[in-house]
Amino acid sequence: MNVRIEQVEKEREELVLIRCHAVTDEVREIASFIKSRAGTLSGTSDAKQYEIPVTDVCYIESVDGKTFLYTRNRVYETAYRIYELEELLKPKHFLRIAKPMLVNLMKIKSIQPAFNGRFTATLSSGEKIIISRNYVKALKAALKGE
Amino acid sequence: MEFKRFLVNKLILFFMLSTLITVAIVLIGSAFDPEAQFGYKDMPVPIEYAALCMLPTFVTWSKRELSPKVLLVRKAIMLVLIEGVILFIAFMSDVIDTSRIGVVLAIAGSVLVIFVLANLFVWLKDAAEAKKLNRELEAFQKLHG
Repeated sequence: MNVRIEQVEKEREELVLIRCHAVTDEVREIASFIKSRAGTLSGTSDAKQYEIPVTDVCYIESVDGKTFLYTRNRVYETAYRIYELEELLKPKHFLRIAKPMLVNLMKIKSIQPAFNGRFTATLSSGEKIIISRNYVKALKAALKGE
Repeated sequence: MEFKRFLVNKLILFFMLSTLITVAIVLIGSAFDPEAQFGYKDMPVPIEYAALCMLPTFVTWSKRELSPKVLLVRKAIMLVLIEGVILFIAFMSDVIDTSRIGVVLAIAGSVLVIFVLANLFVWLKDAAEAKKLNRELEAFQKLHG
């Protein structure tokens, strides 16, 4: 597949066009990556496909090999792996807080101590999630902008 | 939790317990047997007790992240096991007069107090850390919001 980048004037809309012989998984993956860079993630809920704004996602969890996006009042399944999302969403203030979980730092309302040096994060949705002690150091560094 | 980190935490707990057990022995001894004399062979007793108390703490070890509820249950099991270990030592000992119910209750009570204090110290440390994290989180959200 050839890749061509064309610069356009500010007045014209930016567009990524994929010209392909067939819409394969690879093509879908590329499209999904571009959408995520633009600020949305593809996800399914009740067998329907949605484009979810990254800013609406409170946290992301991997359960039994499947990845789920949690917004204030809905859960979406996504084709991404948690490690892919970790890299992809780093600039969008997402951080790994447990082995199977990423959190949107902008959605944390408060942090409380839990047992054994762990912490509980209360999200703006009201949900409480555990911050594993192995990731507390990374959380501190992220909040300091390191 | 990494096993190495778990062991480091247990080492911190071990030193904390050694100190608290020494204090408990002083308090219980002063109340029930103020005339007792000790030699060099008795000096490692708090360390030995602390080491034995460490064994039941391994019930809180898990490779997977435990939910607060499960951890609370495991901590309760740990307390029961520690009480069992200490009371077993007391009943096996020749120098501790376990025929006096007051002595047995004082030992069991001091184990409970030490357990609560050790957990309280850890909680207070975590609460101070959480307060700092909340301040940093607020600043982060203001900056990027």
